[in-house]
Amino acid sequence: MAFVPPARHLLRARDLVDARYFEPLAVDDLAAVAGLSKAHFSREFKQAFGESPHAYLLTRRLERAAALLRATDRSVADICLSVGLQSIGSFTTSFSRTYGRSPTAYRADHPPASRGALVPGCVVRAYARPQHRTFREDSAPARA
Amino acid sequence: MIRIANAQLWVHDQEEALAFYTEKVGMEVRADVTLAEMGDFRWLTVGPAGQEDVSIVLMAIPGPPVMNDETAEQVRGLMAKGFAGTVFLTTDDCQASYEELKGRGVEFTETPQERPYGIDSGFRDPSGNNIRLAEVRMPAGV
Repeated sequence: MAFVPPARHLLRARDLVDARYFEPLAVDDLAAVAGLSKAHFSREFKQAFGESPHAYLLTRRLERAAALLRATDRSVADICLSVGLQSIGSFTTSFSRTYGRSPTAYRADHPPASRGALVPGCVVRAYARPQHRTFREDSAPARA
Repeated sequence: MIRIANAQLWVHDQEEALAFYTEKVGMEVRADVTLAEMGDFRWLTVGPAGQEDVSIVLMAIPGPPVMNDETAEQVRGLMAKGFAGTVFLTTDDCQASYEELKGRGVEFTETPQERPYGIDSGFRDPSGNNIRLAEVRMPAGV
């Protein structure tokens, strides 16, 4: 059987974080994917990638949350849950520590998502066009 | 230089489509804004992680005045028959991607098969849109 470098198992765990960050993943799950005990896995992961698996998972989630704050108009609570975090309080604390301001302040510092959405002109034309209203002129009796 | 920015798919339900493309196919949300000035029109786009400049617009079938009832019904009919649109995705490893997506509940209409251009498979999104997933291998000398 071909030799598989240990880092390949660690990369599998990191790939899982990149792909499934929005699920309730924990370091235990990552260690299981890598086939290592939790303590051994955390040590090996940090040695290979320079940060703990918990830190990698958290920063992946925060990066996604920041992108959603910039590109969507979803609520902070909704964004928190959609990136796999359960506690709004912890999310706000982690986000503030990482980005230097709260999620709400971070969003306020960026152009509104609607401006960045770049909805094409043809779509705006079609969807912003009001429904035609006759205000009864059409049915008014003709003057003699 | 002309480049592809977005391509649109009609979807029956934007929330359902969003969950499918993000949670099952593994794409990321690129934009999700609801514009009150456009009758609460929702611009919702998703795209593959690592391919930031291309996205799929998940477009709800509108009502009047954008689309009359008859046309909307025709679009729904085409979707139900699987003729409304196709997206062709590529992957480095079709078999592995197939297993991964299948494990997340994606129902494949076509399992990975050898083709002259590589390995190809296919599935449908909840609206009936046809999605191809291929590992493309260029023949030698091309």
